[in-house]
Amino acid sequence: MMKLLKIEFKKILTYKVFWILMGLYFLFLILGILTSGFAINSMIDNINKNSPIPFPHITIFFFPDVWQNIAFFASIRYILIFPAIVIIILITNEFTFKTIRQNIVNGMSRQEFLLTKLQLIFVVALVITFIVTLGASFLGISNTGSIGFAIVVSKISFMAGFFIQILTFLIFAFFTGFLLRNTGLSIAIFTLYTLIIEPVFYFILKIPKLQPNNISQFLPVNSVIRIVEYPYFPVLKKLMGLNVQEQLSLLDCAVPLIYSAVMIAIVYRVLSRKDL
Amino acid sequence: MEKILSIHGISKKYGRIQAVNGLFIEIYKGQVFGLLGPNGSGKTTTLSILLDLVRNDSGTFEWFGKPPSKESRKRIGSVIENPNFFPYLTAVKNLQIVADIKDKPYDDLDEVLQLTGLYDRRNDRFRTYSFGMKQRLAVASALLGNPDVLILDEPTNGLDPQGIAKMRELIKRVAEKGITIILASHLLDEVQKICSHVAVLSKGKKLFDGEVSDVLAISELLEIAADDMIQLEKAISMHPGFSSLVRSEDRWLVYFKGKIVPAEVNEFLHRQGIVLTHLSERKRTLEQHFLELLRDNS
Repeated sequence: MMKLLKIEFKKILTYKVFWILMGLYFLFLILGILTSGFAINSMIDNINKNSPIPFPHITIFFFPDVWQNIAFFASIRYILIFPAIVIIILITNEFTFKTIRQNIVNGMSRQEFLLTKLQLIFVVALVITFIVTLGASFLGISNTGSIGFAIVVSKISFMAGFFIQILTFLIFAFFTGFLLRNTGLSIAIFTLYTLIIEPVFYFILKIPKLQPNNISQFLPVNSVIRIVEYPYFPVLKKLMGLNVQEQLSLLDCAVPLIYSAVMIAIVYRVLSRKDL
Repeated sequence: MEKILSIHGISKKYGRIQAVNGLFIEIYKGQVFGLLGPNGSGKTTTLSILLDLVRNDSGTFEWFGKPPSKESRKRIGSVIENPNFFPYLTAVKNLQIVADIKDKPYDDLDEVLQLTGLYDRRNDRFRTYSFGMKQRLAVASALLGNPDVLILDEPTNGLDPQGIAKMRELIKRVAEKGITIILASHLLDEVQKICSHVAVLSKGKKLFDGEVSDVLAISELLEIAADDMIQLEKAISMHPGFSSLVRSEDRWLVYFKGKIVPAEVNEFLHRQGIVLTHLSERKRTLEQHFLELLRDNS
């Protein structure tokens, strides 16, 4: 088990592209969080101009809502795309450099090769979740008046939700890279699909708003994104008396996990049968 | 003698092209075994099947007397086609990855780097290497962890004369250590200089095999045809000098061991009630040229 991970770490440790893209992810995440705090209060200022009773300025980074809010920011598709591109590059590199062939020839089984990549994805997802959790804790501690254990952990499950988001999204990326094998093509198609094609589909499917169980929630990327709902809106919605997502929905988590399982099964099948 | 590899009738088709066609080969410990054949004769496909890169359609093979597995591949060092390494990693890091996969320690890393003359450049990235150095790194990685078998696919391809000489020297040194070597080449001269045993391939079929000195004594080639080609095949395969045959359009290309006189073959077939509609010594295509070279050099 550890042996395979050790091999993967050797491949990325001195790989600049890996560190740059990971750095960009966290850079954009921090920028997003900073601007959101500013944006929400300037929005309140705007509302206050026409409101007889002024709303107070708010922070969205207090316990326990900080978990959900940070999880939301960290899973915005525009920034989640960075670690996904990293995974695409790492898998397509194996085909570009033909190192997958060399690995097999040297005595790795095809199943082990798949396992290696899945382990890497799992660890990358885990590390990102850990860093984001650390950042959220820091924000929560500095923005919450009285901190109690109960209030801190009451919504920490959103971090587990975030882990599922990043894990499944990276598996989607892996799937794309594995099937297309070409780095540029995979990145282009994956980005295009995530940022443009699926949102357009989503919009079209949403037009007849009649049925509440919209099938749009089953679009792959959307099924990942919707695990954790809107960020600062819980606060605003609460103020306006609307329904708010209070906890994770197991069904929501299940959908992308099922997609991932199917994709892994397809990769397994293709890898077992195909000439390399 | 310990059997290293036995191939039982493996075949592989790429679309409509039959790359390997019912191949049987046995290789024993300590042999330097050459797979000789022109480009497209199925050498690389055969090696790829033996290393689990390509799935064979039919037939089986055994490494070290057991069905192939990742464990058997760990005992084999191979250089297939172009050297495949991570360009952004140093030679040392690339070799460490190979050793990790093979479950071997890093002990002999310096040794293989010295043997292949790359020790001074060991901490440079792979992408900065010249082609000859890349090729030598591939050999270094194949030699890592003292393999029982070394597989080399066209090891001197693309090398300059000095590089070729170095590579052959290296192969000889490895062979002296008692490591079994399987070498694919389209260069007759190379096989003659390096190998103890050889199998000659054409169109995915084995034409003949044996000790290099024996095989070089063979090879007479006749092109024959009759109305009933099936019957002709049966009859000719009973000829005492018969080695093997290949279908070439509407004719049989027949290989014989040792000298053969066309008139004698004609008479032999006639006695079996076959009237030939065609009999000739075939013109020299590249492949025939190759085979005639074999004969001329014996």
